[in-house]
Amino acid sequence: MNKLKLGGKEFESRLILGTGKFSSVEIMLEAIKASGAELVTVALRRFNRDRPSDDLLGPLTRLGITLVPNTSGARNAAEAVRAAQLGRELSGSSFVKVEIHPNPHHLMPDPIETYEASRELARDGFIVLPYMPADPVLAKRLEDVGCAAVMPLGSAIGTGQGLSTAEMVKLIIADSGIPVIVDAGLRAPSEAAAAMEMGCSAVLVNSAIAAAGHPAAMAAAFAIAVKAGYAARQAGLMSRGDHAVATSPLTSFLTGS
Amino acid sequence: MPGVLPSFLDPAPWLTLARTAAPADVRRALNAAQPGETEFAALLSPAAGELLEDMAVRARELTRRHFGQTLTLYIPLYLSDYCSGGCVYCGFAADRRQPRSRLEHDEMIRELDAIKSMGFEEVLLLTGERTPHADLDYLRDAVAEASRRFAAVTVEAFPMAAEEYRSLSGAGAIGVTIYQETYEPVQYEQMHRWGPKRDYDNRLATPARVLEGGMRTVGMGALLGLSDPRFDTLCLFRHAMQLRRRYWQSGVSISFPRVCPQEGGYIPPFPVSDRYLAQIIFAFRICMPDVPLVLSTREAPGFRDGMAGVGVNKMSIASRTTVGGYQAAAESLDGQFHVNDDRDIESFCAMLRAKGLEPVFKNWDKVYR
Repeated sequence: MNKLKLGGKEFESRLILGTGKFSSVEIMLEAIKASGAELVTVALRRFNRDRPSDDLLGPLTRLGITLVPNTSGARNAAEAVRAAQLGRELSGSSFVKVEIHPNPHHLMPDPIETYEASRELARDGFIVLPYMPADPVLAKRLEDVGCAAVMPLGSAIGTGQGLSTAEMVKLIIADSGIPVIVDAGLRAPSEAAAAMEMGCSAVLVNSAIAAAGHPAAMAAAFAIAVKAGYAARQAGLMSRGDHAVATSPLTSFLTGS
Repeated sequence: MPGVLPSFLDPAPWLTLARTAAPADVRRALNAAQPGETEFAALLSPAAGELLEDMAVRARELTRRHFGQTLTLYIPLYLSDYCSGGCVYCGFAADRRQPRSRLEHDEMIRELDAIKSMGFEEVLLLTGERTPHADLDYLRDAVAEASRRFAAVTVEAFPMAAEEYRSLSGAGAIGVTIYQETYEPVQYEQMHRWGPKRDYDNRLATPARVLEGGMRTVGMGALLGLSDPRFDTLCLFRHAMQLRRRYWQSGVSISFPRVCPQEGGYIPPFPVSDRYLAQIIFAFRICMPDVPLVLSTREAPGFRDGMAGVGVNKMSIASRTTVGGYQAAAESLDGQFHVNDDRDIESFCAMLRAKGLEPVFKNWDKVYR
């Protein structure tokens, strides 16, 4: 299996995990291990150096995988840039997931502020992964300013509505020169597989695993689905048609003109 | 003259449904894709009370979806019990409780350090209605000191002008809590006997000024027990919806303060039972699934444990409602309200963990100011 390349680094796993919403740090760590993820996102606002039992950064650092601090909580580019810089300083990771959702209720990303922050952070040497609306034009604009990947949403964060943006994600993938990672909205491993079959380079999952009856088991299921979807894409899916196609041609007897 | 309930908050079109909905209306509301006033009203009905378990199941599913298996913790800090208000139901009213006190600067710092050492990262600073002892300058000083120590600082004080809120925001506050107490204008006038708080219209317009002044969140609530809870919660629901539409970059949260009959001798005219309070909270969760719902230590341990992660996603704990209560060796005076849940942080967190909920102390960062 080809490796996922992001910001000059290579990763075996194409499943990225979000780390919020788990019922305990232990369960979160078990889920990450079961998923085989080598990249995890973590909110700067959940870094707590003053109270280790409330801190996500410490336990994630000890796992020895690549951390992607996110800027969740930022309402505009200036706040996201400050948060990214603090996140890099505290975590030692140059990766950043730019997450700017000014409306605290539906948490939809702000395309204008996301673009501004991504441009500035890429210029500052960050490996920028912007969480974005599934907009093919914005995706190209983010690629042009030096993002390492784009992360269009499948549906609204936490809703489990699956790949409701599938048609837009296909357009993004068709044009993209950088990895496309579907982030948010996936509920079932089959949806992750579908995203990979469509040509995504990776998927990011949080709620679907954290809110599952058995998070570690669900994380393992997602890992299998992502591998299967990627392998299917590599193998070349047959084209979809409206009619049955006979396996032996029906007109081979017509040899003459 | 009593104030005027504006038409955009008027619950009249839904009140009949809130009183007489049929079980079929309730079931439709429980499964509605985009619940609004009609569904909310149906869920406040007696028929919905018969389906409380179904409401709880739906509420828990939505709480988990939006807030995960976590519960955010905060702590209140009473800065001053001077007050210019005459609220009939309040232990801090201007004609009760002598002597009065406020935290002087050095005492404020000792209290802030005391609660910081308990592990909190979100503090709610409280005063009474505006007095020369606790005015904007005093509050801004407290916000600035708190902001140096805590990731999140919010304020529950007196109604202010938008520019005053902007000044507190500049000092580091990210949110303001302001309860309407009751939306029923005549009842409001009877409950607030004198002082600036008697101005119903001004108080009603305050949450909008909070957000106009640049605060990220406004905490809202009705003091349950003062008026018909169906009337008040429908108004509250409409008020929150209106603010969300108008200030789309800001958040609202809803709290559920309730006057209990045994407190300070005051008998509320519309007492709300545990069962009905739970129904109200579930109705809010089902119809506003992404809005933070908050419950204080005013409520008893059993009720709070039952609501944690089911309807409510944020709670205070280890609260003292007296001025200077965190350094004092023992509770010497009754505070603004009686604390019914006096557990310490460790036992409360142990309860949360036993329920599969992660207690979260820090869910914000100073960088977002």
